[in-house]
Parts: sequence; structure tokens; C-alpha cells
Amino acid sequence: MQIQDILKKHEASIDNLLMILHDVQNHSAQSYISESDIAAIAKYLNTTKAAIYGVVEYYSMFSSKPRGKYVIRVCKSPVCRMLGGQDILNSIQSTLNIPTNGTDAEKRFTLEVSECLGHCDKPPVMMINEDLHVNLTPEKIDSILNHYRQNKP
Amino acid sequence: MTETKIALKNAGKIAAESFTQYERAGGLNAFRKALKMEPLDVLKAINESGLRGRGGAGFSAGLKGKFTDESTCRYCGQKYIICNADEGEPGTFKDRAIMENDPHLLIEGMLIAAWAIGATKGFIYIRGEYTESIQKIQRALDNYYTEGWLGKSFDTDDDFNLDLEIRLGAGSYLCGEELTLIESLEGKRGYPRIKPPFPAQHGLWKKPTLVHNVETFAHMPFILENGADAYRKFGTGNSPGTKIFSVSGDVNRPGNYETEMGISLRVLIEIAGGMKDDIPVKTVLVGGAAGSFVSDKHLDISLCYDSMKKIGGVLGSGAIMVLNETRNLFDFMADIMEFFKHESCGKCIPCRVGTAQLALMAQEIKILDKVAINAHLEKMQSEAEYIAANSLCPLGASPIIPISSFNQHLKDKI
Amino acid sequence: MAKQIQIQIDNKTIQTEEGKNLLQVALDNQIKIPHLCYHKKLSPTGACRVCVVKIEGQKGLVMSCTVPVSDGMKIIAFDEETEAARKHTLEYLLTEYNPENDGSYRDEVMELAEKYDIETEVKRSILDIRSMIPAPVDDSSPVLTYDASKCIKCFRCIKACDEVQGKNILSYAERGITSYIVAGNGVWNESECDGCGECVQMCPTGALVEKPHRNEIQLDSLERKVKTTCPYCGVGCQIELSVKDNKILRSDGVEDVMPNDGRLCIKGRFGYDFVSSKKRLTHPLIKENGEFRIASWDETIRLIAEKFIEIIETNGNKALAGYASAKCTNEDNYIFQKFVRMAFGSNNLDYCTRLCHASTVTAMLKSIGDGAGSNSIEDFETTDCLFVTGNNIIETHPITATYVKSGARKGQKIIICDPKWTPLVKYATLWLQQRIGTDVALLNGIIRQIIQDDMIDRKFIETRVEGGMKAFAELKQLVEKYTPEYTEKTTNVPADKIIQAARIYAGADTAMIATGMGMSQQTSGTNNVFSLINMMLISGQIGRERCGIDPPRGQNNVQGATDVGVSPVVYPGYIPIGDDENRKRIAKLWNTDYESLSGENGLTTVEIMHAAYHGDIKGMFIMGENPMVTDPDLNHTQKAIEKLDFLVVQDIFHTETTGFADVILPAASFAEKDGTFVNSDRRVLRVRKAVDAPGEAREDWKIILDIANAMGTPIGQYQSAKEIFDEIAQAAPIMRGISYDRIKNQGIQWPCPDENHLGTSTLFLDKFNTPNGLAKLFPVEYVESTEQPDKAHPFILNSGRILYQYHSATMSRKNDSLNAFADESYVLINFVDADILGIKNHDKVRLSNSRGELETFAKLTDEVAVGELFMPWHFAEARVNRLTRSDLDPYSKIAPFKLTAVKIELLK
Repeated sequence: MQIQDILKKHEASIDNLLMILHDVQNHSAQSYISESDIAAIAKYLNTTKAAIYGVVEYYSMFSSKPRGKYVIRVCKSPVCRMLGGQDILNSIQSTLNIPTNGTDAEKRFTLEVSECLGHCDKPPVMMINEDLHVNLTPEKIDSILNHYRQNKP
Repeated sequence: MTETKIALKNAGKIAAESFTQYERAGGLNAFRKALKMEPLDVLKAINESGLRGRGGAGFSAGLKGKFTDESTCRYCGQKYIICNADEGEPGTFKDRAIMENDPHLLIEGMLIAAWAIGATKGFIYIRGEYTESIQKIQRALDNYYTEGWLGKSFDTDDDFNLDLEIRLGAGSYLCGEELTLIESLEGKRGYPRIKPPFPAQHGLWKKPTLVHNVETFAHMPFILENGADAYRKFGTGNSPGTKIFSVSGDVNRPGNYETEMGISLRVLIEIAGGMKDDIPVKTVLVGGAAGSFVSDKHLDISLCYDSMKKIGGVLGSGAIMVLNETRNLFDFMADIMEFFKHESCGKCIPCRVGTAQLALMAQEIKILDKVAINAHLEKMQSEAEYIAANSLCPLGASPIIPISSFNQHLKDKI
Repeated sequence: MAKQIQIQIDNKTIQTEEGKNLLQVALDNQIKIPHLCYHKKLSPTGACRVCVVKIEGQKGLVMSCTVPVSDGMKIIAFDEETEAARKHTLEYLLTEYNPENDGSYRDEVMELAEKYDIETEVKRSILDIRSMIPAPVDDSSPVLTYDASKCIKCFRCIKACDEVQGKNILSYAERGITSYIVAGNGVWNESECDGCGECVQMCPTGALVEKPHRNEIQLDSLERKVKTTCPYCGVGCQIELSVKDNKILRSDGVEDVMPNDGRLCIKGRFGYDFVSSKKRLTHPLIKENGEFRIASWDETIRLIAEKFIEIIETNGNKALAGYASAKCTNEDNYIFQKFVRMAFGSNNLDYCTRLCHASTVTAMLKSIGDGAGSNSIEDFETTDCLFVTGNNIIETHPITATYVKSGARKGQKIIICDPKWTPLVKYATLWLQQRIGTDVALLNGIIRQIIQDDMIDRKFIETRVEGGMKAFAELKQLVEKYTPEYTEKTTNVPADKIIQAARIYAGADTAMIATGMGMSQQTSGTNNVFSLINMMLISGQIGRERCGIDPPRGQNNVQGATDVGVSPVVYPGYIPIGDDENRKRIAKLWNTDYESLSGENGLTTVEIMHAAYHGDIKGMFIMGENPMVTDPDLNHTQKAIEKLDFLVVQDIFHTETTGFADVILPAASFAEKDGTFVNSDRRVLRVRKAVDAPGEAREDWKIILDIANAMGTPIGQYQSAKEIFDEIAQAAPIMRGISYDRIKNQGIQWPCPDENHLGTSTLFLDKFNTPNGLAKLFPVEYVESTEQPDKAHPFILNSGRILYQYHSATMSRKNDSLNAFADESYVLINFVDADILGIKNHDKVRLSNSRGELETFAKLTDEVAVGELFMPWHFAEARVNRLTRSDLDPYSKIAPFKLTAVKIELLK
């Protein structure tokens, strides 16, 4: 979807900014909000580029730099870390051959860490875009990633 | 004691998306009753129930509502109502349980409160990561609109009506603090505002605003339907009602358990299935990262605001993170300090630099010898005290809580 | 009136007002509570946590910058606890802070660190963490550098940009300890930054520092700092120049004084390099055989005197004319008009104002008796409604615009009438985009609506307008046919917007009008302003505080020049030449014969050129003006100039005009002399010498005195500019009470009739300046412009200004800082028109008509309407005036620079 079509769905009021940013990022093939997106949003909301860019930069879920199509966010909260979170992180790093905050060569996956995702009763936990994955083990990682490799081009 | 359910009374018993089932389970009886009451009497009921904010600060819900109501006359100027569903405190996942299982209850609570203070527009600020909650709340909102409870004027003197919509957070713990949440709702970076003024006078778009946690709103229908006295039958004198405790860590059945306020930690752990593999408790972190450690000596402590305060701790969000004897306390503490460093907005010097310093110190302590450790812990505490006394917002006032409780109760465990 | 209360700070009792900021009250009372993020121009932030105090009855430490004082408050500012907390906070800051200072900026952090004895790492008890924090440097801007390692994240720059300048182009990247300031998306020169430098002035450390001369400026070895007035536009910002080795190295805004309170635009802050340009005229030059040779002052002055006398003897006094200068001081201009009247013996004396606000002033003089703005700059913030017409205020009067933007933030309603988009539209309630030239129709339409809605101010009309309701009835009848539908058809402005504009303006409690070139520079210019004034009078939006009409003046001293008598029709103080009694008085003051002072009106600016073309004017003296760029119909103007027998041009640089001169005289710039300017709100402001003029260049007034002496008609002896001003105060009653001494720290607004009078902020509170004290209505019909697009010339060309360059750019284009932002001519063309003509962005195009042609670059936009074009006129390589016409407004004699029919073609 083009940026103008996305913008039209939201009333042109600055308090809609976070909703707009979510919408734009969710439609982005590289899970980010680009410079031209920022310029278009600024114009639509009758404000400046910094007003948009500063918000993108502040919130952990948004990125102003291109990422993979799927953003993996492994929970690093104290409970998840205590109960296997680091193993999951290591496992994904080695499977995809990327460090934390890195993106694979196909631009399909980016690996990030996240603060508490609110599912501390089923640790360790991660999200891939809007999908939640709980009770993880290193063994489950491959099949989860494959699901994204295959089902969602 | 067992589980006692007010906020989670419908969980698992009705389909979360079904308005019909919600009504059949008694839904909207409370709001119908409230509509027939004077708004001031609704406020009175909430106040007399002794309901305290379930977000973490524990402030009297009745007083909050009173301030907002009195901010300006009911008929002049816009008032807002906001549900804080940003649930970011590590170890806390109770609000999600309400939103995923009984979203209609939350909205009914908001309707009651909005009627009480004269708010006609409201927002449910849900953290961006809570995909399922967002979907379920949206569905419930659609139901309320379709059934004519939202967006339509009621037959009251002032044609009261409420419009509610979802707004999303995007990964910032600080936006769970009410004034910072309001900044985020206004489309800005999450920097906390100077207090005073408080949201009751000067909130969203400078208008009087009532902000409450999900769980707090979820208690209001019960209070209105059954009365303040019925509510007070549960819990303790100063902490009436029930509380959802999010239990996680080394227990057999981690999860959300709603019990009366004042339940003992020991019993709560039992309800959560007891210690996994029967390994004894080393410590429990009560209230989240901004929470306080208690030791195995405190297992009989009554989980309520005042009892926790008496031992120098907090109840906070009611997160209960249980660590057994095998767990490395310094690793855990370092993760907590990293959390604060990452979530600091950076506006004020004590917190911006302080949380980074504390995170550094928490890493360093892992490689120190016994003698140096104590001195290091004392230094961490004195820095955390300075940070708490000089920061701008509650985040700066947080690291001292786990650090001081650690030093107070866990020195013999390291 | 705020309640008077009493508080105590450290046992000192202080009287103050309820609700005032505690930190500010302390500072005002010499209790120097340390602080970093607080600045009195900005809203309090509470970020640095250094201003900590204790308040009796409140627990814990409190930040004094966030506390409004109340009666009986007892505060402890300095005790062991607060000092320990402050020191701790500073130590924290120092662990992430880079103290290396290259001497080019003041470091408020290190000043505090030294006070608390923690300026080196060894003195502190907390580890440095600087190495863990990436601290980028953004050096992309031409005028400033941002260094994150010195940034203390105090928010001052962001608030300066938001709250003071209303531009909002700064934010932070990242969050927490790695936060740093960004402009736009993180590359400063790709952001909307326009180089005003407010952030630099507000920055307490070296995080933001001016780039120009950074390696030359050492703050502790400056020779002097001189307060003076900016030489560019008519706002009259007070600037402080830092000087070393006879060179200006920096310009700062002067705080706490009117009109700008420390604010500047890019020209005021970075446009001073022209003063030290190597291209400055340094010696008198005489043309011989088509070439210029250096001559001595003696030889040159003698030659000039000889030639002028020759022309007078052969052709009469009226064969000479003078152009004075809107850029020169009042003293220069006063001496110039004295010279023309005494030495030339005529009133053929005018200047560029005739090309500018002539229509505005003509209409205002006739209807309300004063051509100067009726209000003051701060009223632009507090008035309830601002009606802006034909004025791109953000680009042409940036500091006035900061007041407007502050007002807009507080709910001020802004109505804009402009055929072209301007940046103010972003802040406006309504933008009426009328077809070029249809202003009278639009305003009559608004007037009719005001009457229709019965929103007229009857009492005002009856008591303060000549003819009362009877005169009003005439106006009512004339505007009757301007129904919303008729007006929409004529102007292209939608009917509902016309109705809305009428209701907002007439319904506002207070309203001001800002009117500019868009209205004035047309053949119907005077009528345009008449209808504007009609609208104002029937609504009663004048004669009270924050109500009136305020034409922002273009040049730094265009107001002053006429004030002190540069005019073919009035003497100093706006007294008509024909007023015999006044001429007698002036003759006495000037120690000359009354009979020698001509009582006959002289020729205006363009009329002078026409007369030169026809051989009636044989000789001219041009001071600080550049008619070969600024006058209309340049090809014709060029012929006129070439026809002159003798032309003297006095300037600071070679210009497009100096090449035609017989003699060129090198003058001192604003920074090289003492004197005064008068700004748009009638404030007389000091100009002070900061550096010596280069080579043999001299103050304009001194040169003129020498010429007068050499001509045998001495016009006075003055030892200083101050003596000249004292005479001005005698000549012009409006300035009678003003003296250098009185305006030492801050200028005074005329009228100031005596030395105890404090100056006048708002005009017409009691009566208008007309003979009977009443205002006059002048109903005018809309008449279609005589210049219409046709098949050969299908476009209407509009012309105007941009922020970064100034007028004919003689000064502004000598500054690298300004050129870095805009150094190329262009024409704005609507996307639709460009598409039809096959023109793409930055294509080279030719504009032409019967009068001339030019080449420039196309810029595609939706800022101009279909069928209309716009060009900034600063760039001499593409002189808009080659195309403009010199048909004049019959009353103001102004040329219609705003409306020219042209053809545009793509150049392959």
C-alpha cells in the first residue's frame, strides 16, 4: 500500500502519530519508517520532520533504518533470562548467522531483544512481528523460522 | 484461602468476544445501576469502597476521581478518561488476562467512571506488543457501539455519552506512567511532565483527565452492583478487594491468580503449584523490577500495600517473581538495572546517568570478592538514594527499591 | 494585576508577585541558585536537577524552576543538603561530558564544575562513562556545528526552536543516555533549519556553536563587543558584534531589549561578513575614457561640485535629483535631504520607498493621517486576530513572525490573503488565495459580508469616522454588488471562505492588519490599501491597544529616511513642503534664507527616471541605492541613466548601477559609523561603530558635507552623528524628545514630543492624525488590471523576497553563510503548467515580454496558482525588473512589480 493510502485512513491529527507509524511500519517490506515516509507523514500532519523522526527514534518498536521483513524480538526480562532466554538468543544467532540487531543477507529476519513482553508464565518468550511465541526451546526455533520462510513470502 | 474473583470472574467461563454472554453473566447491570444514580454518588461509592489503583502506585481511586470531577464544572469543557493498558512492569501480565478474557468488563468499568466524572471521550492505551489484547478490546468496543452503549447519548440530564478508542503504545515502559502516557497520546516522545499539575487538572490536551489501570476499572462494576460494603468484605482494612497476582519463576504453575488482598506469600505460592522440583525459595521479587525483594523469612507476609510498606517494600503491580536457591542474584539484579537503563527517557541527569552507572556497577559486582561486594552494594544503594531523591519521575525513584530491599534482606544469600 | 506577596529565601525576605517562577524570583533578587536547563525565555523543563531547593512544608528536594511562588513560602536554597545534591548532579553530568573547549564558546557546565571543585576527573568519585556513549558530530550545516559529546540534553535548543522561533525542527534521536539532538531526520542541512541560530544562542555549552570564524574567535581575547542595529530588514533587531583585529567575528542577539529580545534570523546572525569583504569600495573612483581610476577625495569632491554647479547654471535647479538610502542612517539621510534642498535648491529627492510601501503610506496618510505602523511588535503576539495580506512575514520579517507564531500557539486567529503560498499558511486559520490583482474585489466582498452580518462598530463609525453613518452608507452602497458569489467569481476565492474571513476579523476582540508589497506594488496599490482601511474602520479595529494597521517595513531604515525628510512632498516629521510656516522654521534652524527653500513638490523615484529619460534631469546623486536592479522596466531605466550628463554613486560595493557612474564614492557600512535607524514600529534605535571603514571609505554624511562646502553652499558643521541627531530632533516634532542619551539601552518609539515622554506604543488612541482628528473612508471600486495575460504572454509573473537573500543582494550575496542556503535564481511554476509546457524541475527557462527577457531555472510547485509565476528578485543575473512595467499608481506613483504578463519557454 502506498503511503498516501495509509495516511488517508487516519484523521490528520498529531495524536494519531503512533497509530500512523504502526500502520506504515506494518506495511513496510523492511519493517521500518523511511525518510520519505517521514516527510510524507510530516506534511500530512502539518508538522516538521523532526517531530516525526524523534518519535520513531524514541519507541523501541519503531525503526528508522531498514530491517528484515520479520523482526524477531526475544524477551530479555529478568524472568525470561533466568529461564532460558539467552539460549534462545544464542540459537537464533547461530541459525541465522547474525548478531543481535543484525539482519540476514536475504533481508528476511532481523534479530532484536525486547523488554518484558508480559508472558512471564510461559518463558522464554519471543515475538516475530505481531506473532507471539512462548515456551520456547532451542529445538523449536528452526521450525518456527521455517514457517516464516515458507508460508509468508 | 483460595482464589477470589472480581476482575477475572468471567475468565474461562464466557467467550471473550461475545457481548451476549457477557450480558448473560450479569454484565451491564452495574452500569445501568450507575446511570440511575447521581454521578457524585457513584464517586462516593468508589471512594467508600477503598479501591486503590492497581497499576502500582496504589493511590485511592475515589480521590483521583474526585479531583477530576472537581476540576471543572461538569458541563463546561472537555474531560477525558484513559485506561492505562501499557502493562510494562517486568513480571506483570495481569491486565492482559483481563483484556483477553473479559474485555467487556474493562469497558463497563470505564463507562461507570466516565459517567461519574463527566468524561465524554476516552482512550484505551494498549502496549503495542499485546496483539491479542488489541484484537479482543477492539472487538468488544465494536460490540458496545453496535449495541448502542458507546457513541450514543443516554437519557440523562446532560445527554451523557462516551466515545472510546484504542491507541497503541510502541515499546516504552515510561509511557505506563500516567503523565508520560498522556504525552505519548499527544503524539510525542515519552518524556514525563513536571508534577504538579496532575492529570486531574491538567491532563490530555490540558483538560481534566482520569487515568486508571485496567485492573482498577475492572473492579468498578462489582462495586457499583454490590456496593462499597460488599467490596470491603474482601481484603484488608487498608487494602480492600481482590488483586490479581502474576506469579512467575520457579513455581510449578506460573500464571495469574486473583485472590483477596492480604493473602500470604506462602499460600499464593501454593496456589501456584508450589516450588518447582521442590527446590526451596531463595527470594521473591514483589511488584516488578521496581519492586522489592523479600527473603524466605517473609513468606508469611500479607500481600497488601501497608504490610509491604512496613518491611520497607512495595506491593507495586503485584508481580510475584519467585527465585529458588539455585538462582544467581547478581545476574538477576544486573538484568533489572539494565532494564532501567534501557527505559530511562534521558531527560534528567540523575536518572539518565544514574541508571547507566547502576547498570555498570551491577555488572562489575559479579566479579568482585566478598569484601568488595559489600562496599559495592552500599555504594549502589547510596547512588540509588541520590537518584531517587533528585530525579524527575517515578522511574528514577525505582532502582532504590530493589537495591535497598536486596541489601536489607538478602545480604546473607550472596 | 497579580497579587503582591512575600516569600523568604535563606532568611531573606522578598516582595514579589504570586505565581511567579521561584528560580526567576531568586535570580532577580541576586540569589544565584545554580541552574543549567532553565532560561527565562523558555518554559521550565526541570531536566538538569541543579536548581534544587527545599521548601518548608514540602518533603524532599524540589526544583525551584518548577515552582510558582505563593504567599509565605519559606525556601532554603543553600544548605549542606542542597549543595551536596547539586554537586552530586554535576558530578554525574561530568561523567558523560566532554570538557575540551576551543575557546570559541562559553561553557556553563565547566563554570559550575570549577565552582564546586570537581572540574577534573580525579576530583570526582564517580567513573567517567564517556567512552561508552557514542557522541556523533553533525557538521553538515553551513552555519553551525552540533557536537553531542558536549550536549547536556537540557532541551534549551529544542525549546528555543519551538517556543521562541516557532519552527519545531529539532528533536532527539534515541533514548536515555545515548540521546542526542537531531535536526529533521538527523542531517542538519537536510532539515528545515533556516539558520536563525536561536539554538546556538541558547546552548549553555559547546554542543552548538557558530561555524563562521570559529577558528578565529577566542572569547577571552576579543577586542570589543558593540551593540548596534541589524542592517537588513525593518524589524530592527538589536545585535551585539564581537570584534577582533578590526573584523567582525560573531553576531549575537541582545536579550531583554525590544524589538527582538535576543532573537535573530540568519541574516542578522550570520550576514555580517560583507563588512570585511575584499570587494568593498575603498577609494574614490573617477571614470575616464570608459574606465575607472582611483582619485583623491580632494580631486573627486571638486569635480562633483563643479559638475553639479554647471548643471544648475545651464539647466536650472530642477535638472538635478537625488536618491537617498533606506540603508543609511537617519543622520546620513537627514544631511542628504538638507543637501538637496539647500545645495541643489529643489525637492527632487526620493528613494526606494517609492517602489515599496508608497501606496500603503499614501492611503494611510489620507485616511488616518499617519503612514507608520499603529502598533508595536509585541502586539503581534497578543492581538486576537491578525489579517495578513500581501506579506510573506515569516521570510521577510522573521522576528515579527516569531511573535505571530507565539500568538498562533495561544489561539490567535490568522487570516492570510495571498495569491501564493507562504510558510505562515501552516499556522493560519484561513488562507484566501485570490487571483493576482483582485484585492479590491476581495476586500469589498469581505466588507459587504461584515455589513450583512451586522458586525460593524456603529459607535466607532459615528464618533471617529468623518461623515459618520452617512459616509458609511456610501461605502455600503458601493460594496452592495460584491456578494460572496460575485466576489468568488472575480477573485477565485470560495464564497464560504470570504464569509468566514469577514466574521473572524470583525468578530475578534482585537485585530491587526499586516500589509505588504502584495498590496502596495500594484497600479491599484493605493486603492488596495484604501479598501483594507475601509474594512478596518467599519469594524472599529483601530484606535485601541492591539488594533490597527501595521505595514512591516522592508529596509532597516526605510521608515527613518522619510521620518527625517527624504521625500519630494514632506519635510522632516511629515510636515508638507507646502507648509510655509514650517519652512520658515526650518530655514531658521538651517541658518539659511527661507526664499532659497523651494515650496514646490519635487519628483518621485520613478518620475525622476522618466524625467532623466526625457532629458529634464541631467545629473543625479545616488546614495546607497541600486536602481539598475530595483527600478521597474530596467531596459528603460538603463537608457534613462545612460542619458544623464553626470552621475555620482555613493555605496559600499560596486553594484549593477555603479558601472554607469561618472564618479563612485566609497562609503562606510553600518558597522563603521555611529547613528540611528527607525524600525517598523517607529522605534529610534542606536547604530554604533564596531570597526574602521576600509581604505579611504568615509561616513556618508561627511562626504555630503564636503560636497556642499565645495559647491559653496555649506549646510552645517557637525563634529559627530550625535550633533546631527540633535538637529533632527529639532526639525521633526515627532522626535523632539529623543536623544542619544535616552536611547542608550533601548530605542524609543515616536511620537515622543518631549524628553520626559516615554514614547508611543499605540497610535490613534484618542484621535487620528488628520486635520480634524477623524478617519476617512474611501470607497473604491475594483478595476481589472490593465495588464492582462494574452496569447503571447499567457502568464502573470509575481515577484518577491526569500529569507536568505536581501533585496538587490549587494550585501547579502557577499556572505558565504547566506549563499550556502540560496544562491541561484529560480521561477516558481505550477505543476500543471509545467507539465503542459514540458518543463521539469531545474530546467533552464526564458521569461520574456515586450520590455525585456531573462533566463532562470524552473522550480515546480503547487505554491503558485495555475497561470501565475513567482520569482525572487534578488539575483542580478536574472533581473525580474527587465520584465516589469513602469505604469504607475496614479496616487502613490509606485510601479506594479507584482503583476507582469510574460511568456515562459523551455530552453534546450
